[in-house]
Amino acid sequence: MTEYDLGIIGYGAAGFAAAIRASELTYNGMKIALIGHGDIGGTCVNRGCVPSKYLIEASKQLFSSKNPLYPGIKSSAEINFNELMSSLRNFVSKAREEKYINVIKNFGNIDIYKGKAHFVSKNEVMVNSEKIKATNFIIATGSRPYIPENIDNYVTSDDIWSIDELPRKLAIIGSGAVAMEMAYAFSNLGSEVYVFNRSDHVLKNFDNDISRLLIEHMKNLGVKFIFGDINKADDDYVISDKKYDGFDKILVATSRVPNIDINLDAASVNYRHGIIVDDHLRTSNKMIYAAGDCVEQRLQLETLAGREGVTAVENILGFDKSIDFRSIPWVVFTEPNVASVGLTENQLKDYKKRVIELKNVVKSSILMQDGIVKMLTDKNGTVLGVQAFAPYAAEFIAEAASVIRKQGSYNDFIETMHVFPTVSESIKITAQSFIRDISKMSCCME
Amino acid sequence: MAKKVLLRVYGMTCDDCVAHVKNGLEKIGKNVDVSLDGNAVLDIDNDFDPYKIPSLDVFNGRYKAQVKEIKDD
Ligand SMILES: Cc1cc2nc3c(=O)[nH]c(=O)nc-3n(C[C@H](O)[C@H](O)[C@H](O)COP(=O)(O)OP(=O)(O)OC[C@H]3O[C@@H](n4cnc5c(N)ncnc54)[C@H](O)[C@@H]3O)c2cc1C
Repeated sequence: MTEYDLGIIGYGAAGFAAAIRASELTYNGMKIALIGHGDIGGTCVNRGCVPSKYLIEASKQLFSSKNPLYPGIKSSAEINFNELMSSLRNFVSKAREEKYINVIKNFGNIDIYKGKAHFVSKNEVMVNSEKIKATNFIIATGSRPYIPENIDNYVTSDDIWSIDELPRKLAIIGSGAVAMEMAYAFSNLGSEVYVFNRSDHVLKNFDNDISRLLIEHMKNLGVKFIFGDINKADDDYVISDKKYDGFDKILVATSRVPNIDINLDAASVNYRHGIIVDDHLRTSNKMIYAAGDCVEQRLQLETLAGREGVTAVENILGFDKSIDFRSIPWVVFTEPNVASVGLTENQLKDYKKRVIELKNVVKSSILMQDGIVKMLTDKNGTVLGVQAFAPYAAEFIAEAASVIRKQGSYNDFIETMHVFPTVSESIKITAQSFIRDISKMSCCME
Repeated sequence: MAKKVLLRVYGMTCDDCVAHVKNGLEKIGKNVDVSLDGNAVLDIDNDFDPYKIPSLDVFNGRYKAQVKEIKDD
């Protein structure tokens, strides 16, 4: 048996962030076992954020090359999908090497164990046939795609990255961020994409207006939406209101379930759907914390996983920190981006609301892109939530996160000078619409 | 006195550090023993939450502490 100060189960975003922060705070004095299986780095770098954003950006370039927006420009473009996918896999390997494998080499206090861990007592896990004992554990085992019972012969976001042939016709089951991003990317790349979803609302954490705009936009790009229960899906067909067939691939992206099959009972750690933690990320066992997608929580994000890994470690070392769930920004990387931070109309009762259309924003007009920005405040003007369907929203939603975190008001956006002309001005203009009629405002109005 | 708490203390590099940490722990405990290898032990009253020890002032800066074990006396 080997003994450690800290055992971390899972070497994805949450596990890595925890290991590095623990080393930092203890001058590499904390002896850490970092346990994981599969590719180091977990979901984000290998199967999640990184490959999906690479594919989306490549698909955007193909689409805009084939469909130039500005008069006088004619162009054509071709795709070699096999070559694109091999460049994507190379990019992922390089990112994994640079951001994870090489980084961890800097920490002599961290031992990596490759294998599946399960608890055998309140402070011991078995990995392969080795017993590891630790003073504290952080569970950071992530999540995996959920597969409904009546679906067979499919791919998921775990394995779609190994395909070499562009699906001519692709069925996507689901309506969350992964489903929307994949539908957008494959449609741009030239696949005929069908999205199957139980209800006619996509992106459940967003309000109806944004959901509707996204669906309309995707339909204009050629994506077909089929709403209703799925009775069966297998290999090349999906039966919903009727039978749809001829698919080259079925991509299941319904939701993700926390990985909690690690014998939590032996460690006295309570769980339901995911691991139950208090505000400090501590489980029912006071010496065990949990972070990232394995936790029972509403959002599954790389940034949140990383922040939780850091917070768990800080709390083990006496910091008394918690996660501010009101100010977590998140984005669906379709183009326009769909971005959100704070509360939505669905979650609020008394609030003030302003929505502006992007035709009021000079840069959006130059980009020839539509969209909206919505701001919700309380009666005193304190910002409660911002949602955007706008180009580059991923790049500027953090401004709203910062204001919400500091419990600032719409005036904070107005008084902060924004660069002209940028789409980020849309947030300032939405704030200005609380105090004046923006249709009577010149674009230099501060 | 009702509980013995074993701690792992990080960031101590000299005897002065040991004395400083010992001093900090004596504000809430008795029979405090701190060694340069990073181990510390102390007795605390039942009504003091042992998990609050890493939040003590002495661990606010350079030194950090982790609760290793809590034993009922
Ligand atoms: C297609 C896709 C796109 C995404 N895009 C974005 C994005 O753009 N932005 C964003 O913020 N988020 C995005 N996400 C979400 C993000 O990837 C996850 O929220 C994040 O990676 C979760 O990190 P984690 O550390 O909790 O889990 P993971 O990264 O999944 O790591 C879990 C680790 O635990 C290990 N493990 C599991 N069980 C055991 C066991 N029994 N023993 C040992 N080890 C174990 C696994 O091997 C893995 O290493 C995306 C996700 C997907 C699927």
